[in-house]
Amino acid sequence: MKLVIGISDMKVSNQADDVLITYSLGSCIGVVIWDPVAKVGGLLHYMLPDSSLDMEKAQAKPFMFADSGIPLLFKETYKYGAVKNRLIVKVVGGSQIMDNAGIFNIGKRNHAVLRKIFWKNNIMIAKEDVGGTGNRTVSLEIGTGITRLKVSGRGEFEL
Amino acid sequence: MSCIDEILNLVKHVQPFPKVVQRVMGMLDDPETDVKALAEIIQYDQVITANVLKICNASYFGLPRKVSSLNEALVIVGHDTLKDIIVTSSSARFYKGAVGDGYRLEQGELWRHSVATGILAKHMAKKHIQGVDSGVAYTVGLLHDIGKRFLNTFVADDFKRIMIKVVRDQCSFVEAEKELLGISHAELGGMILKKWEFPEEMQLAVLQHHDPDALKKEPLTALTSLSNALVVTMGIGVGADGLATRVQGEGLKRFGITPLDLDLCMANLLDDMEQAQELFHI
Repeated sequence: MKLVIGISDMKVSNQADDVLITYSLGSCIGVVIWDPVAKVGGLLHYMLPDSSLDMEKAQAKPFMFADSGIPLLFKETYKYGAVKNRLIVKVVGGSQIMDNAGIFNIGKRNHAVLRKIFWKNNIMIAKEDVGGTGNRTVSLEIGTGITRLKVSGRGEFEL
Repeated sequence: MSCIDEILNLVKHVQPFPKVVQRVMGMLDDPETDVKALAEIIQYDQVITANVLKICNASYFGLPRKVSSLNEALVIVGHDTLKDIIVTSSSARFYKGAVGDGYRLEQGELWRHSVATGILAKHMAKKHIQGVDSGVAYTVGLLHDIGKRFLNTFVADDFKRIMIKVVRDQCSFVEAEKELLGISHAELGGMILKKWEFPEEMQLAVLQHHDPDALKKEPLTALTSLSNALVVTMGIGVGADGLATRVQGEGLKRFGITPLDLDLCMANLLDDMEQAQELFHI
């Protein structure tokens, strides 16, 4: 079954025939994790770096922010038997519009916070496709772990 | 006939924007206008009438019983919501069908992008950018990409060449449109608003919404460009053009808008979109 993840949303599955997909990542970031032994995978689509922006919102929509969404993504896969050091982690998105002043650098900030969180928690990124001005769609096949990425101007390929 | 002539010829045959809009908008600015007079005009537009009743009966208003008379519905929804309903219903008819497939947009996505930009533009007019009427901001937001709807087939025909230019020359999608088709969707949109006899400031805001210096121009232009830039950043209704659009961000300083304000606007827009989805079924 195809499970669509919207903006500020997350889904986890251990059903072999499920495909997790999120469309149209602009400055938002998609985090794809998959455990090849437990065959569990998850996909998070967060929009902003820091939940301190609006704590009330972070409570209602924790997947809106990197710092509140990323830990929840990992924890949810653990419930299905995933093990942290087995998880293959892929990161996509974080584009930005062409602004020399860097005011619209939300993509860059989103990516910086993710790297900090991963560094603190000893999480390695296996594959990454971040930045530029492309618009990205990413999907994960739960049964195989195959991650497909579509980027405007670059076509569709396996990540 | 050359490509540009064909495109300009298209503008000549664009259907008129519903006349009821201009008539009712003027009446709604006058607090003395009574409901009967409004209903008298609105009732002749079936789409707007149906939408007023549908929205009035949506769970958002929490009415205990179903309302079936237009007069009663107009009292319940109030002037501001009524303005939104009229402009939204009148614009929606131009976004039906596969109007964005040339830009590799799924059906309905160009409309979703337009509604999001309208909602954000209204919010900006109320909170951050002085001197712009929030109803005008909402309308321009809804219509800023109307040019795409008509340039769509031409973009589809030249899609490969446009994408190659964007990737190879690192230019914006709009710059590629202009060079390869002779006109951009923003310019075409400005012409369409002129044909529809919208005020000049609205025509200009649509025409200039991709100008890299838009944030330094008239407040309505700046607000439209900013709202579009943020909705694109969020990836709402974004097609092959992706984030390949140019904006000089330092122009925001004159409005005192900080990156933190932008983050908050994006966070709030998601909630507002959910509400709009309930009301307008986008």
